[in-house]
Amino acid sequence: MKGEGSTWLAAGLLSLLLVLLPLLGFGLLPGLALPIYAVNLAGQVMCFALLAMAVDLMWGGAGVLSLGHGLFFAFGGYLCAMHLLRSAYAATHKLPDFLLFMGHGGFPSWWRLADSAPLTLLAVLVLPALLAFAFGYVSFRSRVNGVYFSIITQALTYTAMLLMFRNDTGFGGNNGMTGFHAIAGLPAGGLAAAVLLASLSTAAVLAALLGGRALLASRFGRLLRAIRDDEPRLRFLGYDTLWLKLAAWCASATLAAIAGMLYVPQVGIINPSLLDPTLSLEIAVWVAIGGRGGLTGAILGAVLVNVLKFWLSAAAPTLWPFVLALLVLLVVLALPNGLLDLRNRSRAWLLELAPASLPRRRPAR
Amino acid sequence: MSTAIAVEALTVGFGDFIAIRDLSFHADYGTVRGVIGPNGAGKTTLLDVLTGKSRPRRGRVLLDGTIDLAPLDEVARALAGIGRKFQKPSVFEALSVWDNLDLALRLHRRSLLREVFAPAAAKAAPIAALLETIGLTALRDQAAGTLSHGQKQWLEIGMVLVQEPKLLLLDEPVAGMSEEETAHTAALLHRLRAPGRSIVVVEHDMDFVEQVADAVSVLHEGRTLFEGSMAEARGNAQVIEVYIGR
Ligand SMILES: Nc1ncnc2c1ncn2[C@@H]1O[C@H](COP(=O)(O)OP(=O)(O)OP(=O)(O)O)[C@@H](O)[C@H]1O
Ligand SMILES: [Mg+2]
Repeated sequence: MKGEGSTWLAAGLLSLLLVLLPLLGFGLLPGLALPIYAVNLAGQVMCFALLAMAVDLMWGGAGVLSLGHGLFFAFGGYLCAMHLLRSAYAATHKLPDFLLFMGHGGFPSWWRLADSAPLTLLAVLVLPALLAFAFGYVSFRSRVNGVYFSIITQALTYTAMLLMFRNDTGFGGNNGMTGFHAIAGLPAGGLAAAVLLASLSTAAVLAALLGGRALLASRFGRLLRAIRDDEPRLRFLGYDTLWLKLAAWCASATLAAIAGMLYVPQVGIINPSLLDPTLSLEIAVWVAIGGRGGLTGAILGAVLVNVLKFWLSAAAPTLWPFVLALLVLLVVLALPNGLLDLRNRSRAWLLELAPASLPRRRPAR
Repeated sequence: MSTAIAVEALTVGFGDFIAIRDLSFHADYGTVRGVIGPNGAGKTTLLDVLTGKSRPRRGRVLLDGTIDLAPLDEVARALAGIGRKFQKPSVFEALSVWDNLDLALRLHRRSLLREVFAPAAAKAAPIAALLETIGLTALRDQAAGTLSHGQKQWLEIGMVLVQEPKLLLLDEPVAGMSEEETAHTAALLHRLRAPGRSIVVVEHDMDFVEQVADAVSVLHEGRTLFEGSMAEARGNAQVIEVYIGR
């Protein structure tokens, strides 16, 4: 497995962030405090990192590029929002705006299923994976591969966006759903909730990194890489690759749904913009910029691009698209394997300058 | 000698082009069958049909003389004991030599789940033995993509061997090998002969085929031109005309 070192570095930094978030968020270290918006931003960026890892698992892992992961992200987000609205209603007895707009006197009765937090969590873990299974089964079975698969994922997400934009679909239409009251008993929008959510998101990224690396280093991970290299060859060795791809695909969808579930309470709203094809495309850009196949590149890309985007869209909003385009060009031309490749490249450059000064690399296994 | 694989009245086409027409072919257990013929004769296409890569327009393919392979896809055929080395070496370039063999070696053919979770230690002994056989022990941790053409050929042969197929299909196994490596492969093929195994070798290297094959089929434009021993083939006027003499 390549990138062992960067995994531990990333895991260390994430652990540090996990410790610092409550310390700095609550101002427990004298003189050092993070404003709430910074805590919130860190949490959101972590959700994007998780989303990028979900895409990298399939793309870097098995060579299957999804351009529709916004679908699973939004799925998790909508489920979470339903639960938050139900608990807000239980506390305040005020109906959310979108139901009032629609002239409804109350929630549709089946929304009661979202009352229970454990049940909602279960739904986040299972329902997007089921959707992924159905879609993946049909596509992989009919041997839809490569760019055709990518396009279909995008079409599916686009269809979902059109569906959710309709007011009569019942999930807030284009206005979306908002008006969360409390998150795990903490007032929504408050510092405690922000710290909790940001810490949970960071912990999720850390867990996904360690779990994902273990998965990729296992025989299952090697089978995925074999699919990426030469899927027909693997089939002629007697492996029904359909099931291998489906397993990874469903795991990837679940990861994206968890990211969405954590993201929505941090932004306080969900609307169909998460299903916009541009978000799904952007995820692939994050992964491509950071570097595919090792999960750390996905984290790096997501963090880098989103922090840059946040900073620039405040400082110079018109500049952002150009900066992003430049970044993409730079990576495509100079570092085709993403920024993580910088390590190997710089090593090669250094070796040219001073061949004897560097310790020899252990051969990769 | 019982029949391992039999092909009856086979026709394979791509669009208007007929690559194999009305071909009959068979290979027996315990023997090595050579398949020779000029470029484009349909040799690789024949293996494609046997392994399920291409579907025939007409005709049947029978395993063990009785099992009609038509309903089986390439995965099922591999699990039924048909192993194939491709003409273009097909190994997993990103994986190490060892890991290529680890995936190729199947301990649980009926359960993908058990295969995925089989302990690596359970595969270690057969892989180590096989690495000795194919002479790649020293390169076990190297990525397969970094191997030379000949070494990739060896690795792929190893990947097929480790599956212990009862029908072993080798498409140009010594292409790109040195004389010494070719002799080594011939010796290996002799050792691989077994009463329960049938070996089919497609090759352009006549001397190699003469060394290893009990009988040869000469294909030309999708038909069988000649069947018999290699020595007879060399003396056959038609064979000389379309192939050897050129
Ligand atoms: N998938 C395909 N689509 C169209 N034509 C094909 C296809 N596969 C093979 N052919 C054609 O069928 C003919 C037989 O090809 P095949 O690969 O079986 O030849 P071969 O005997 O293996 O030749 P060589 O010795 O060069 O490997 C060729 O003319 C080839 O172009
Ligand atoms: Mg051929």
